[in-house]
Amino acid sequence: MATVQFKKIVKRFGDNLVLNGVDVEIQDHEFVVIVGPSGCGKTTLLRMLAGLEEISDGEIFIDKLLVNELHPSKREIAMVFQDYALYPHMTVEENMNFALRLRKLPRAEIASRVAEASNILQLNKFLKRMPKQLSGGQRQRVAIGRAIVRKPKVFLFDEPLSNLDAKLREEMRVEIAKLYQRLNATILYVTHDQVEAMTLAGRIVIMNHGIVQQVGSPIEVYRKPVNLFVAGFIGSPTMNFVPGRLTVKDGTAIFSSEHLSLPVPAFVLPQKEALEGREVVLGIRPDDVLVERPGGEKCSGRIDGVLEVCELLGHRENLYLKVGGQRLLATVEAFFNRSPGSAVGLCFNYRNMHVFDKATERRISE
Amino acid sequence: MNVLTSVAEVSWFILLVAAGVAALVGYLYSHFKFYARSWFFPVVLAVFPALALAVSGGLLGGYTLKLWLYFAVAEAVIAAFFRYAVKGRHTVPYLLLAPAFAGLALLLVYPFVFEIYLSFHDLKLTTIMMWKNTGELPFVGLDQFVKVFTTSPLSETTFWELLLRTLVWTFSNVFFHVLGGFILALMLNNQIRFKGLYRTLLVIPWAMPQVVAVLAMRGEFHFTNGFVNIAITKLIDKLPFLAALGLAPVQWLSDYPLLTCTLINIWLGIPFMMVVILGGLQSISSSYYDAADIDGASYFQKLRFITLPLVRPVMMPAVTLGTVWTFNNINVIYLVTGQAGGTEQADILVSALYKAAFTYNRYSYSAAFALVVFAMLFFFSVFYLKSFDAAKDER
Repeated sequence: MATVQFKKIVKRFGDNLVLNGVDVEIQDHEFVVIVGPSGCGKTTLLRMLAGLEEISDGEIFIDKLLVNELHPSKREIAMVFQDYALYPHMTVEENMNFALRLRKLPRAEIASRVAEASNILQLNKFLKRMPKQLSGGQRQRVAIGRAIVRKPKVFLFDEPLSNLDAKLREEMRVEIAKLYQRLNATILYVTHDQVEAMTLAGRIVIMNHGIVQQVGSPIEVYRKPVNLFVAGFIGSPTMNFVPGRLTVKDGTAIFSSEHLSLPVPAFVLPQKEALEGREVVLGIRPDDVLVERPGGEKCSGRIDGVLEVCELLGHRENLYLKVGGQRLLATVEAFFNRSPGSAVGLCFNYRNMHVFDKATERRISE
Repeated sequence: MNVLTSVAEVSWFILLVAAGVAALVGYLYSHFKFYARSWFFPVVLAVFPALALAVSGGLLGGYTLKLWLYFAVAEAVIAAFFRYAVKGRHTVPYLLLAPAFAGLALLLVYPFVFEIYLSFHDLKLTTIMMWKNTGELPFVGLDQFVKVFTTSPLSETTFWELLLRTLVWTFSNVFFHVLGGFILALMLNNQIRFKGLYRTLLVIPWAMPQVVAVLAMRGEFHFTNGFVNIAITKLIDKLPFLAALGLAPVQWLSDYPLLTCTLINIWLGIPFMMVVILGGLQSISSSYYDAADIDGASYFQKLRFITLPLVRPVMMPAVTLGTVWTFNNINVIYLVTGQAGGTEQADILVSALYKAAFTYNRYSYSAAFALVVFAMLFFFSVFYLKSFDAAKDER
């Protein structure tokens, strides 16, 4: 197993800058998920690590070894592709031992490695089948098995679950988590699905426009998003954003927008910088919009709103509210027994409120 | 006045075609409509063979019992087909197919049946007048088929020599077609500049009418004026030691006619294979190559373990077609060697067949010969496609 280091990685396709100075370090045995919207360069970064894409600038180290010029097969990595890339004319077994056969390993060694991997992934029954005869989930397992038999230093997963249906995706997510516990390998996993990122990752790397936005544990990026992008990308349903302006009155910061106004206590926003007149965006997750509940001391005062639509999800319910012209989403325990159009009182939970500077989009709250 | 005559002629022709179509539609309509009636068989058997006899008799100038019998048998078969298989269903599809089917029957089925008829009789220069006068030919049973294997279609080459030569010709041509096509396709599948231009240039031999291409190439193999010998001469001028090694201008057309034909045909056949294989290559997902790169496959290993197996499904039908075309290729052989003063050294089965029929006037013998060639290719194709299907099911 190994560490991976990206140092100032740049990738250009012609004039198009895809990655702009990516610096990430991955520890031994770590499960790192790179997440971001499509086109953010995450797959390109992974393919550069695999050696399938040329590196325009910067350095990549695997186990402190500079691999920029190393052939993919010499990097001791294994990759699971989005479309699995199982060789259609080979059986499952042949697919799994292809790399080992190319390396001319002894027959017994090959057989034992394939047996081991197929035991882990419960593929024993399918070894003689063709990829065409397998379901999507089974193909996915074969693709993972093909990676395992090679005993690589680093496992690379390129959106491995995006071709599966929702239910199977959940199952495979758990499978991958279990696999990680068992292999205890260094894994680099690329996805656009923030749920996969939150559930699987030891650390998340959030990327946008070829730039790393934030690196941190799932709870860190959820609780303390460093900028508006991360705040909006991580978490489901999406965070509410309320643009407005700060004023300071009697030593207390007051947030006011067209539709609502509330004090921002010092434990949320310490008055280190000049706050007077600053354009900001208030971020509050739907879970922290408390509807018809006594707020307590670390909450804002009562704000009057109107219920527009209720969405029952089962144990939770999404409430689409309107405060003046400002739309807000709140999730509450089911069942919220009000008809649309009725007036409701709500308040914000200050403990999980975020304030971002409107111009720089950076977090300025604690 | 001339214009008027032309217009009248064209109108007359259009009317004739319309009448033909109307007759066809009426004929089919009656079969669709009345197939279930109790009087269906007697009436159609009485009416249509008689009508057909009247029309064809008027055209050919004779009404024979035999001709009527043929029409009656054909009508019986068609009527039974409509009564027991079609049963009045799919009227419009059958009507739409009918013109094409009538054309096919005239151009394919009739000649094929006539060929079978000829192969069991004896039509040759000495019996052709008898056939013309009486319409009768001596029946000889399987004699012609025995002759195919025992006598020679040409003056000096036997059937077995021809068969061997044809197999060598087919194999070497198809082999080099595939090899050349594959190499060119691999080169064109890379990211290179002017790819479209190269592709267009490479497809030209195939896009040109074959007669023109072959005759042009035949000129290039001329002893004194052909490009090939001129190139050899210039080469010897520059590098005299080649002459010491025995290199000299070659009498291509008279000394090595089959080799010349082969070279020309390879040049002609490569573009088709190239286009087919290039299509196959472009349909291979690049992620297989990514996976193979990570698995540590070298260029040739990728070629062997990924490209070849994945191109096979596209290549196999093309190879089957190419084999049949080459086996049957009379154009190149005839155009290069078949004219006055031509040689028999380059003849393959089909070109010998042509000579047997139209130089030596052994029509029945040629008909039997053609059936033998047809049978060979038929079984080859069936076997090939069957084994290909089996390979596909495996996947």
